[in-house]
Amino acid sequence: MSVSAISIKGVNKTYEGKIEALKDINLDVEEGEVFGLVGPDGAGKSTLFNILTTLLLPDSGQIKVFLMDAVRDYKSIRQIIGYLPGTFSLYPDLSVQENLDFFAVMYKSDIEENMSLIEPIWKQISPFKDRKAGKLSGGMKQKLALCCALIHRPSILFLDEPTTGVDPVSRKEFWDILKSIRQQNITVVVSTPYMDEATRCDRIALIQDGRIIGINPPQTFINNFKGKLYTFKSENIFSLLKVMEQCPLNCNYYPYGEHCHVAFYEDMQEALPKFEAFLQEHHQTYETITPIDPSVEDCFIEIVTHSN
Amino acid sequence: MFSIEANQLTKQFGTFTAVDHISFQVNEGEIFGFLGANGAGKTTAIKMMSGLLLPTSGTAMIAGFDIRTQSKLIKRNIGYMSQKFSLYGDLTVFENMQLFGTIYKIPRKELKDRIMNSLRELDMEKQADTLVDSIPLGWKQKLAFATAILHRPKIVFLDEPTSGVDPIVRREFWKLIYLAASKGVTILVTTHYMDEAEYCNRISIMSEGQIKLIGTPDELKKKMEVNTINDVFVKFVKR
Amino acid sequence: MKELRMILKKEFIHIFRDTITLALVLAMPIALVLLFGFTISTDIRNAKISVLDQSKDTQSKTLVNQLSASGYFQVVSYPHNELEIDDDFKNKGIKLAIIIPPNFEENLSKEGNATLQVINDVSDLNVASILNNYVRAVVQRYTADYNDNSSRGSAFDITVKMLYNPESNSVYMFVPGIITLIMVLVTALLSSITLAREKETGTMRMLLITPVKKIYIIVGKVIPYMIISFISTIAILVISVTVFKMPINGSLLMLLFLCIIFMLTAASFGMLISSISRTQVDAMMITMMGLFLPTVLLSGFLFPLNSMPMVFQVLANIFPAKWFILAIKDVMIKGSGFFDIWLYLLILFVMAVVFIIFSLSRLDKRN
Repeated sequence: MSVSAISIKGVNKTYEGKIEALKDINLDVEEGEVFGLVGPDGAGKSTLFNILTTLLLPDSGQIKVFLMDAVRDYKSIRQIIGYLPGTFSLYPDLSVQENLDFFAVMYKSDIEENMSLIEPIWKQISPFKDRKAGKLSGGMKQKLALCCALIHRPSILFLDEPTTGVDPVSRKEFWDILKSIRQQNITVVVSTPYMDEATRCDRIALIQDGRIIGINPPQTFINNFKGKLYTFKSENIFSLLKVMEQCPLNCNYYPYGEHCHVAFYEDMQEALPKFEAFLQEHHQTYETITPIDPSVEDCFIEIVTHSN
Repeated sequence: MFSIEANQLTKQFGTFTAVDHISFQVNEGEIFGFLGANGAGKTTAIKMMSGLLLPTSGTAMIAGFDIRTQSKLIKRNIGYMSQKFSLYGDLTVFENMQLFGTIYKIPRKELKDRIMNSLRELDMEKQADTLVDSIPLGWKQKLAFATAILHRPKIVFLDEPTSGVDPIVRREFWKLIYLAASKGVTILVTTHYMDEAEYCNRISIMSEGQIKLIGTPDELKKKMEVNTINDVFVKFVKR
Repeated sequence: MKELRMILKKEFIHIFRDTITLALVLAMPIALVLLFGFTISTDIRNAKISVLDQSKDTQSKTLVNQLSASGYFQVVSYPHNELEIDDDFKNKGIKLAIIIPPNFEENLSKEGNATLQVINDVSDLNVASILNNYVRAVVQRYTADYNDNSSRGSAFDITVKMLYNPESNSVYMFVPGIITLIMVLVTALLSSITLAREKETGTMRMLLITPVKKIYIIVGKVIPYMIISFISTIAILVISVTVFKMPINGSLLMLLFLCIIFMLTAASFGMLISSISRTQVDAMMITMMGLFLPTVLLSGFLFPLNSMPMVFQVLANIFPAKWFILAIKDVMIKGSGFFDIWLYLLILFVMAVVFIIFSLSRLDKRN
């Protein structure tokens, strides 16, 4: 049995007596996995990150990071975690090299010793090592921050929305880097508001309004999808949206990119002809209605819609 | 007549060419996705199209006005919304809309009616006197969009409007965009998120200051022989 | 310790790469001293005075001669009674009158002390206070000479009794005042802004998440700005002494030690401020309202404290500047040593310790 890298039991957090940021959070992260915290902005991801990185105390509940208590043993936890915040948080007036040197010393770590770990990333930014960090491009900044967060060879790496505002190519690169970090036996906890990135994780927790609405490997979410999902393309999405409000079938309809997704909770043999008849009756032009495998985003929508 | 018509639009900063002879047209009521990697020149192009920056060469007609000579008229006829800056958190919903409405010189009496109408569409009438800071992010985004179209612009520029918003609210947001487009408002959206790009009627992908690809999402996917716009983007930039 | 050295290195990089701020910080004190210095010193050469010499003996004449020889004063009239002094103020435009009591020499030699009365023109308090201090300086020198030459070897005092402005400030009050302001500005304001900047940009979180000791973070912020403001202080002193011939009556080492202690207090105050502010703007506003204004208004630098309502006199005690100004005046003007000002030093030091402890407790408060 592998050790739990992180174990969270019954964590609650309320800000200034009003806003409930986290409600009864329970989750375990296993050693060596890439764990995704997936949910929209304001769902409580950052609060949970602040608590896990010991920067914030929970109101109640228990958090263990490699069996150390996040409230009491926070100093020991800080030795073994690396943290990449959501916004660029290095010194913009220090050069790339100076930033790395600085954090290496802060972590009482030796750059040479851990070079093997960061080398693949460092190689990409070392040509700019005398450039001030503030003058780097977004992707480069991100890589430098990652080097600084890894320089002490942490056991767990926390990444707070590392791909927000990053273009698709850099995002893909970034996820590839995370894979390689994981191979170094570093547990990775990453948050993202983007459902399409969820499949890159070993397991994900969907989080909404301060609550965890499901923890599973992405594929399990997809397997657990209750509805029968169909997709089709419509000539006029806006007119379709209006018409769908009157649909008599038990279904959940939403646009999905340039397509429309309908999750039916019916016997499809009867429902599908009924649905087509309904569309024709309301003068909708559309292309073939085909079944499709749900994405994590479809799962999120289903879970949230059903819990309401 | 096109709503946006760029003709060899170019901007150089010293020796660096940020926007390199781009030409494209957007129809009235079209939802146009303006994509590109960081630093591809999107922001510069939008600044020129909204009359904030003069081009080095080339020109563009925005809602029928020349960006070189009629920037004042352009500003009156466009709306702008970005996730970074949209509304004042310490003003109420109503006060925010009133403020922007007044800036665009909407007559006072009419302004109140328009605000109330728009809040009714958003189903936010009860929140009129709530501070913007205390409403959920998704609602803020919808409100910001409603505010950006309060003066009935012909074109709205949306700069990463819904990144980080939950999938359900995001769909509600797009419903508002479709509604506006169905009334003839032209929408130009920038985004890094390709699922958002798929909501657009047509998209363009910029790289190194040039528009390298343009077409409907389906056309581009067929052309690049992939299944998603994300793959289109990745495949295209890798080349 | 390696961490502290690294933090210091980083802070100095911040300082030296921000050349505009650095230039401003170094040039401002010099500009301030020159500005204050020249506006004040223009009309205090050859100030017109009257002397009512009721003794007319050798010693009183020597004193009057020394007054005129000082270059500060020009004796334009020798009135015969106090009524005539009033006339001189009205008609001859004198700035100051000195009354030497009868039997001056006799009192000096027999009783070892004598009293001089100084009457000021209160229409210009600033000039009056400057002149009073010139009088003090001349009299001090005169006393010293007298004691040296006195074969009897018995020391004596002359008490200068000021009318109208008995608690006058030093002529060179502006120098300690400017030193205070500079130290408050440079150490407290800049250090609090840089710490707040780290909070604002998120680098503070990165620091806190490392195992580095919190005290290093604070000390690393405090020391660089103390050094910069120390350089400024030296510059102010050099200009004051060379350009404005300001005397430093106490020991220079004592003065510098005092300045270092005050810088520490000011920088700790800066840390305290940044520990309660979230942004650089907050830090700046709080420093201005909570430190800069009280320093200007309540330290006794511009406005004499004892002419203020009781509330403010009491309030002034909680601001470090008051104690520093008391101490620096004593050292520079009275020539006081460590044993005269140890209490002030202690107060300043205790304040610094309290501020630092408080900011440490707020730095990583986790809730």
